[in-house]
Amino acid sequence: MLIINCPYCGPRDQSEFSNGGEAHVKRPDGSKEIGDREWGEYVFIRANPKGLFYERWVHTHGCRKWFNCVRDTSTDEILVTYKLDEKKPNLNNFKSVVKTPSGEPEVGSGNFTVEK
Amino acid sequence: MKSINLKDNQFIQFHQKISFKFDGVKYFGYKGDTIASALLRNNINLVGRSFKYHRPRGIYTCGIEEPNALVQIISEYSEPNTRATIKKIYEGMEIESQNRWPSLENDFGSINNLFSPIFTAGFYYKTFMGPHKKFWKNLYEPLIRRAAGLGKPPKDFKGISNHIHHNVDITIIGGGINGLLAAKSFINSNYDVLLIDFEEQLGGIINNSNKISSIDNKEPKDWLKETIQEIEDSKNIKILKNTLVTTYNYINHLIAIEDRFVGSKPIEGKVNSTLHKIRTGHTILCNGHIERFLSFQNNDLPGIMLSSSFEKYMCRYGLAPSKEPVIFSNNSNSNSLVYSLIKAGLKPKAYIDSRSGEEIEPNLFDLIRKNDVPLYTNSQIKGAFGNKKIEKILVEDSSGALNEIKCDCLCLSGGINPDVHLFTQSKGLLDWDEKDLTYKPSKPFQPTITLGSASGQFNFDNLNSDINEKLKTFKVKKLDVKLELNTNAKYNIEKLWEVSPQKKSLWAKSFIDLQNDVTTKDIRQAITEGFDRIEHLKRYTTNSMGTDQGKISSINALGIVSDLLDKKVNEVGTTIYRPPYAPLSFSAIAGRNCYEFYDPERKSPIHNWHLKNGAIFEDVGQWKRPWYFQINKDESMHDAVQRESKNVRENAGILDGSTLGKIEIKGEDALEFMNLIYTNSFTKMKQGSARYALMLGEDGMVKDDGIICKISDQHFIATTTTGGAATVLGCMEEYAQTEWPNLKVFMNSITEQYATFNISGPKTREIMKKAFPNINFSNEEFPFMTFQFHEFNGVPIRILRASFTGELGYEIYIPSNSAPKIWDNIQSVGKEFGLAPYGTEAMHLLRAEKGYIIVGQDTDGSITPIDLGLSWMIGKSKKDFLGKRSLTRSDTIREDRKQLVGIIPSNKTDKLEEGQHIILDKEIKSPVPMLGHITSCYYSPTLGHDFALAVIKNGHSMIGTKAYASTSSMGTTGVDIVKPVFYDEGNKRLVS
Ligand SMILES: [Zn+2]
Repeated sequence: MLIINCPYCGPRDQSEFSNGGEAHVKRPDGSKEIGDREWGEYVFIRANPKGLFYERWVHTHGCRKWFNCVRDTSTDEILVTYKLDEKKPNLNNFKSVVKTPSGEPEVGSGNFTVEK
Repeated sequence: MKSINLKDNQFIQFHQKISFKFDGVKYFGYKGDTIASALLRNNINLVGRSFKYHRPRGIYTCGIEEPNALVQIISEYSEPNTRATIKKIYEGMEIESQNRWPSLENDFGSINNLFSPIFTAGFYYKTFMGPHKKFWKNLYEPLIRRAAGLGKPPKDFKGISNHIHHNVDITIIGGGINGLLAAKSFINSNYDVLLIDFEEQLGGIINNSNKISSIDNKEPKDWLKETIQEIEDSKNIKILKNTLVTTYNYINHLIAIEDRFVGSKPIEGKVNSTLHKIRTGHTILCNGHIERFLSFQNNDLPGIMLSSSFEKYMCRYGLAPSKEPVIFSNNSNSNSLVYSLIKAGLKPKAYIDSRSGEEIEPNLFDLIRKNDVPLYTNSQIKGAFGNKKIEKILVEDSSGALNEIKCDCLCLSGGINPDVHLFTQSKGLLDWDEKDLTYKPSKPFQPTITLGSASGQFNFDNLNSDINEKLKTFKVKKLDVKLELNTNAKYNIEKLWEVSPQKKSLWAKSFIDLQNDVTTKDIRQAITEGFDRIEHLKRYTTNSMGTDQGKISSINALGIVSDLLDKKVNEVGTTIYRPPYAPLSFSAIAGRNCYEFYDPERKSPIHNWHLKNGAIFEDVGQWKRPWYFQINKDESMHDAVQRESKNVRENAGILDGSTLGKIEIKGEDALEFMNLIYTNSFTKMKQGSARYALMLGEDGMVKDDGIICKISDQHFIATTTTGGAATVLGCMEEYAQTEWPNLKVFMNSITEQYATFNISGPKTREIMKKAFPNINFSNEEFPFMTFQFHEFNGVPIRILRASFTGELGYEIYIPSNSAPKIWDNIQSVGKEFGLAPYGTEAMHLLRAEKGYIIVGQDTDGSITPIDLGLSWMIGKSKKDFLGKRSLTRSDTIREDRKQLVGIIPSNKTDKLEEGQHIILDKEIKSPVPMLGHITSCYYSPTLGHDFALAVIKNGHSMIGTKAYASTSSMGTTGVDIVKPVFYDEGNKRLVS
């Protein structure tokens, strides 16, 4: 179970939170003409990278506030959490922190527990 | 195997006798005995039958790694698959052996052993394929289920467990020498420390072997006592005994299970086990090592056990399982067993070592020579033989000659492995040590420290420096412990995984996994058939897939595979060790979240009245709602629903609608917010009026509906469906925070604060007048879709004129605590008008007659408001609202979308059913183009026939035509497609 640092309440167990998918996806302005493609991408398309990912979470069983974070989807490590109105951090800042548990050995049948 | 009691010690007292039953026969053991040690004391060596071949099996180890000795504890709700090597006996304990019929001695299933040449790897995959798929369900599966498996499921299980959370700086797993020394370093420091050991007594190999002769010039047992006392006295260290860490999760989150009734029968109603959930800053793994076995013909015979286990029985249980065991080893770990035997006045029958004479430790040589123990160096055991127990072994000596040795016990050692399960669970990396022939922890992924043999340090030379170095970051005082050994030897091992049998035979078996009955031949066959990747091989042969996860054998399998493939073991890799480390009962995982706390029930404030008045309940989410009310025990559900709905149409009915979600929305920008959330426009709506509203997802599909009451532009109350309350509130909060943070608006759930009564029927106005005499209910003063606040007997109430039945109706909102009183009052004044309660089923029938949809029944997340014929609810002049743009997507404007229609049988006496498909042809000729299906269907007492709502392709333009509903018997029923309104189309009754 992860520990997630709610920007309002501090570090809490993951079970108090719900995941809200990719962060910084802007909802198109409804007062303007929106093309099918633009709207379709907003509704249906989300990134799913292996590695660093801007992500939304909500402190469901807590303060019920939404916030953003940067999570490494390959390790589950949450590198930073920040409030919705804060500027999104530059992913390049985190490069050195990224760890993959094992790398992916060419041999060893897809198991990642043995050092290459 | 004839065992002998040695001297008693602090763990076993020979004057404390305990009686227990094994397979119905009474035996005696001593307090402190495990089932295994007690059985060995009674010379019982056959304790179970194996999984697949039903071969006789005995006790192989003396700990948690046991693959064979699994038993059923009859006296504890018949708990199956209990490891006899760790479960302690108590007075009156009843134990049964497993997987045998009719008895352990004469097991019918052992016939499988005769047919064993066909039960090879992949046997089930290959054999039970045809000729018809029904064969699997009706014949093969029941057969296999009866024959295979271990214990029987427990009966009437009533175990209780609880959960305890810990938040500490350091968790030390394992209370052996290294764990104790690590804990000692933290005595009276500023760190919160948890020291966890699986056993009842701390000490590890100090208790289990004679390896160590002195610590700090003291007897090891004296040193141990002092050290434990010091640790116990330290305020910052907590010790958990009888606690097994099973799981090592991300962010140093550990799960451990504590047995609360070690050596006594669990008391019913008391907590049997505690699940500890530990969050720790650092984890120090001192969980030691596990000895592995060796493969040769019949290496599963009762009487064969691991050599360190034999020594543990001697040191901890004062019991030598045999007076003269043969020892077979390829490494130095079994030296101390020779020492222990001789110290106890016993003598090995023979010592067989695959290593050459030069490699064998000199002091072991001396010991063997001095005591005239027959020594075979450069030798291997080709096989063990005997009837249900070991009787003789065949030894190939250095000259290649075969020697037969009669014996009743054989001790094996194939080397030792660091117990890396927890380390790999933590995602740490392993590295193969070519010298010690084992995987050792290499890079940790989390703040994990490994000490002692758990880190692969099999010698004690660097004990102090290793601990001091690894604990440097904590800035604790440095250790300087002096340790002397009895068998002064550096760990040394020679490669040996398997000895091939003397005679090639289809029936010769060398086991590689005792619990799952996997032989080395199965491994060969799997590789021949192409399953040469270790993860494939594991699943194809089921090697190391038993409850022991191959603790004593999985490394041997890797060794054999690497030799067969001519690869390095590191290249073969290892399968992933997954949590839990050892089986963990569901009861422990559930903790207190079971029985009534499993999924808490939510009850309306009127619940007790419902109970007294014949309500049959239905679950709606967590809520208990009256489904219908029985006037007497013989009334069927159909009759009750017909009576209730008829009464609403003719007189009046009252429904407890308290479970409906209620959300209060307030703030300067509440109006703008509501306009964005719902499809409807609330701008021109008058204060004090109400409106039926739809909420869409961004994909344009209907997500929820409800009635919105506008108190002012800054204050709204919305109702939601019973099941959708939490989701709707969550959605509102999400958009308020993420998309429109500029809007000043707040929302809160008031579902449980207010009870709701829905009264409807032609006589409702009379009842309301009588119940609330100070309120004017005339059409002019209180028109349809308006609401008013009132005070009644000092209780603030809100009355909304709305209806979900199509009749004149009111909804009354009352603070929950005052609700039962007002409910009772309405019941008593309503009696003379024929007022009767109705349940959700009658409500569904009545609303369907009016064509009102239920979100989630008539819609399924792929239906737009246009599909429902509710285009009038869309505020087209609004610039934006949730899902607005999606209503003009190419998909949502398709003409052949499924649309809501009404369905009635062409022949009025025909019956319809929910879920029936609507098709165009009378004859069913596959493939049948399906138009859609019936979503709601009832028999209407008002219409006198069945009617239904359905969603069908291009439905709106099909109204007025005929179609067919397919029946379950491959037939069809002719139906008319009609408008989805069956009653009072002009809404005259609603506004009367
Ligand atoms: Zn919070």
